[in-house]
Amino acid sequence: MPVHFGYTISKPRAIDIDHNNLRKSDEILREMPELQTCIGCGACTAVCTAGNLTQFNFRKVHTLVRRGEYQGAYEEMNKCMLCGKCRLVCPRGINTRGVVMLIKRKLGDF
Amino acid sequence: MSFYAPFCLPFIIGAVVMFATILWKWGSWLYRLPHADKMRILRGLPTTRTLSAAWEVVRESLLHRRIFRVNPLLGYMHMSLAFGWFLLIAVGWIETVAYLGFRFVPLQGHVFFKYFATGLEHKPVFDFLMDLLLLFVLSGVALAWGKRLYSRAMGMRRTTKHVLGDRIALSALWFIFPARLVAESLTCALYGGGGFLTGSIGAWMAGHIDAGVLIYLESAAWWIYSSCLGLFFVALPFSRYMHIFTEIPLIFLRHYGLRSSEKESAYDHFQIEACSRCGICIDPCQLQSVLQINDVQSVYFLRDRRYHSLRLQTADNCLMCGRCAERCPVGIDLNTLRLNSRDTMRNVPDEKRYDYLQGVDRSSGTGKVGYFAGCMTLLTPRILLAMERIFKASGEEVWWADKEGGVCCGRPLMLSGETDSALKMIQYNTELFRKHGITTLVTSCPICLRVFREEYRLDGIEVLHHSEYLLRLMRSGRLNVTHGAERFTYHDPCELGRGSGIYDEPRAVIEAIGELLEPAETREHALCCGSSVANTAISDGQQLQLARSVAAELDATGASTIVTACPLCKKAIARGTQTEVRDLAEIVAEHLQ
Amino acid sequence: MKRVIIIGGGVAGMQTALRLAEEGVEPLIVEKEAELGGKLRGWHRLFPSFTPASEVLGELRSRVARRGIEVMTSTEVKAVEAGAVTLVDGRRIEGDAVTICSGFDLFDARIKEEYGYGIYDNVFTSVDIERMLNEGRVARADGSRPRRIAFLHCVGSRDEKVCQRHCSRVCCVTGVKQAMEMKELFPEADVFNFYMDIRMFGPGYEEMYREAQQRYNIHFVRGRISEAAPTIDGRVQIKAEDTLTGRPLRMSVDMLVLLVGMRAGETNPAYEAAGLGRLESGFMAPRDSFLGNVRSRTEGIFYAGTVTAPKNIGETINEGCAAADAVLEYLKKS
Repeated sequence: MPVHFGYTISKPRAIDIDHNNLRKSDEILREMPELQTCIGCGACTAVCTAGNLTQFNFRKVHTLVRRGEYQGAYEEMNKCMLCGKCRLVCPRGINTRGVVMLIKRKLGDF
Repeated sequence: MSFYAPFCLPFIIGAVVMFATILWKWGSWLYRLPHADKMRILRGLPTTRTLSAAWEVVRESLLHRRIFRVNPLLGYMHMSLAFGWFLLIAVGWIETVAYLGFRFVPLQGHVFFKYFATGLEHKPVFDFLMDLLLLFVLSGVALAWGKRLYSRAMGMRRTTKHVLGDRIALSALWFIFPARLVAESLTCALYGGGGFLTGSIGAWMAGHIDAGVLIYLESAAWWIYSSCLGLFFVALPFSRYMHIFTEIPLIFLRHYGLRSSEKESAYDHFQIEACSRCGICIDPCQLQSVLQINDVQSVYFLRDRRYHSLRLQTADNCLMCGRCAERCPVGIDLNTLRLNSRDTMRNVPDEKRYDYLQGVDRSSGTGKVGYFAGCMTLLTPRILLAMERIFKASGEEVWWADKEGGVCCGRPLMLSGETDSALKMIQYNTELFRKHGITTLVTSCPICLRVFREEYRLDGIEVLHHSEYLLRLMRSGRLNVTHGAERFTYHDPCELGRGSGIYDEPRAVIEAIGELLEPAETREHALCCGSSVANTAISDGQQLQLARSVAAELDATGASTIVTACPLCKKAIARGTQTEVRDLAEIVAEHLQ
Repeated sequence: MKRVIIIGGGVAGMQTALRLAEEGVEPLIVEKEAELGGKLRGWHRLFPSFTPASEVLGELRSRVARRGIEVMTSTEVKAVEAGAVTLVDGRRIEGDAVTICSGFDLFDARIKEEYGYGIYDNVFTSVDIERMLNEGRVARADGSRPRRIAFLHCVGSRDEKVCQRHCSRVCCVTGVKQAMEMKELFPEADVFNFYMDIRMFGPGYEEMYREAQQRYNIHFVRGRISEAAPTIDGRVQIKAEDTLTGRPLRMSVDMLVLLVGMRAGETNPAYEAAGLGRLESGFMAPRDSFLGNVRSRTEGIFYAGTVTAPKNIGETINEGCAAADAVLEYLKKS
């Protein structure tokens, strides 16, 4: 089944923080607290090589992960080519490549 | 004549354990080598490579030539211990033969010959020689003690922090030769003989210590000597001293053409256990010198990998600038080992991954020369624009592979250990290059250059860095630049210099335009800008700290412009200085006639 | 009569001098440029009231002249200490107190290479726009009228990549002001403002923002432009993420205007060398943010205006008065 992460949500629309399990999100933020400094300017997504070829949206995926919405995040992050342009433009100096790898490590099966 | 005494037991046990373990290790590593590597060894054995390998063993394993280049005193220390000990064994063996003729003597008979040979008539030449050699080794031991206290004298700001096993082996090693000196001297005190060292000390002992006490002391001293040897031998295969024996097969295998690759193999064990943890790799590491990160350097990485305690954080925290590998006296391929560790820890093959690349083609223009800007160059439009002007001025028809945004070359993914996924990009770009029928591929990004050269199969397409390409255009007269009085300094990008061996071309281009001033650390020793895509562990602030330290060194040359040949280096260094930072292509485009 | 040396003859320096002169103290303004006025000389109209900058500047200058305040123009200060300054030419001027009003520097947009300033035609800074407005001719590089204009907020502000972590505060409202001015000059043109956050902190600013949206039909796109590239027909193609829809966005514009931020004055390191504190942003650190906000760490040295942080003109004028009051209090005690 193709993954439509963040674009078609069949279950309830709301991000239900009461029910979402934030454990993984907390773990991710503990390892990389700077991810909280994201101001959502979208520069990462604007330069993104993968994001210009697919629906991959780095900013959106990591924001959803921080809210405890993990479904499909691993597969989405797997579209990233790790080229590092996003890290070069991030005005907050977030280690975006590290974020991609961290999220994959925490949400993947390995 | 009997060659056995109870005190020999620790030595015998130690020696047996050591040789058995080493043989087992070597055997299993060799057995597990890939078939192709085994064939390389078989084919290499009967050639002159074996001879040149043997010569290198003498130079490096015994004389430690490369350490001499780091620091003469440090080199002497290593040489006196290794070569001195070797000579003690070799001359000791000759001594036995000289005394007894060719007959079987058990190992302990050679080693403790002084103890067993008291009844024989002395040969002063050997007494002198053996004492001289012992003194040689002892001078090394003394230096090793001194190094613990004051390492700077040997050109090392920092030394390795050792694990317990290493400390035990190290302590045993430190006491082996003093113990031998005391034991032999005591024997001389009782039975006479000995050279200028053991003989004199023995005579002094005989004059000052009661003969009854001497007998007990002698026995005790030989026990201690044998125990130190035994302890050291038992610890050797499990400690850093395994390097003594591992470096020898490593040198041979290297001469037969064996190399580590991005996948772990049995050959890696030879490299990993050949590390003596000398710590020479620590000082060149900028993570250490600038950021005070003290537990990720190659010596610790190899140690952790060897003892199966490697953590991803350690494997990841490396710029892969190659400054340590440049200095490593054993010539271990540190970057590749780091890479294949990352591969093991992170590579998750996924067939479907990057399926979206199919059919993508955003290239433009036509020509036999293809230009691949690379992702980073798209964020430094001055380079792109300069290349455009240069192509135009030289009348080159160019196919622009990725001006409108292309697909990554795959190297960043490889550097992160996702080796199999990187192959998808390699395959995609290769097909794209083939489709457009180019014969030359120019890139201004050294990261791309390296993967094009090392991992892509681009037979029939010549891959050039723009520095090489520019120089070629200039030399063939297709590009003419004006020479002025401007003073430039040049920063060697890691992937271009140490990574691809391109040092002279960019310098030749700069010198055609103005004066070139070299920074303090340059060429093979050049600093890393700190923004290397190989490191995903350090923060932006830490990258900036590194950039500032590099920029300070470049600024110290007094040049008015800092030139580099990598878009990432350019961006990184510009953060650390007010001086203008330009790419090679920019200054060429600016000085076109 | 007590004498106070004022470094910098911009808005802050002039206002401080005026206030001191009113109270019977003798101010001396040391200005590195050939005339008084500082950055205000380069502005066209001031937000939020669109008051001509020349009105404010003219009034301040004439008051300074009427009071007969001593001014040394084309004079640069090299070092400062309590009660004296040393000039670049080596002369030493003594006084009873020093007030530093040396202001800020503008961020050099060429540093953000990906935006193409100084590389492509038709990429401008907000300063260029003010200059063109003053010259009475706003146009593209080829002289034609723009049909589509994009403003980019936060160039050289809130950007770790150029070591400018702070918010320059006034660029947001400048962007809105200039967008409205463009729309007045070119009613047929579409104007887009690309922003990360809109910070309308002053009185009348939020109303201005609303007017820009509602009456001027200016489009506000929430997303930071990541790169700009030239098109064959001499326009500028920009890329951003339209973060409110979550999709990458690209468009071609006739003019790209970069709203450049304020960076700490280049003379600030010299003040730091004299023992005065500097903030991480490079601006000078006042003794505290409240009762000591115009005092330096050193007795007898005071601050007014943007030497300590980005401020708008109204705030700077207020601070000139506050600094003068603090100086007077100090002179009374000494």
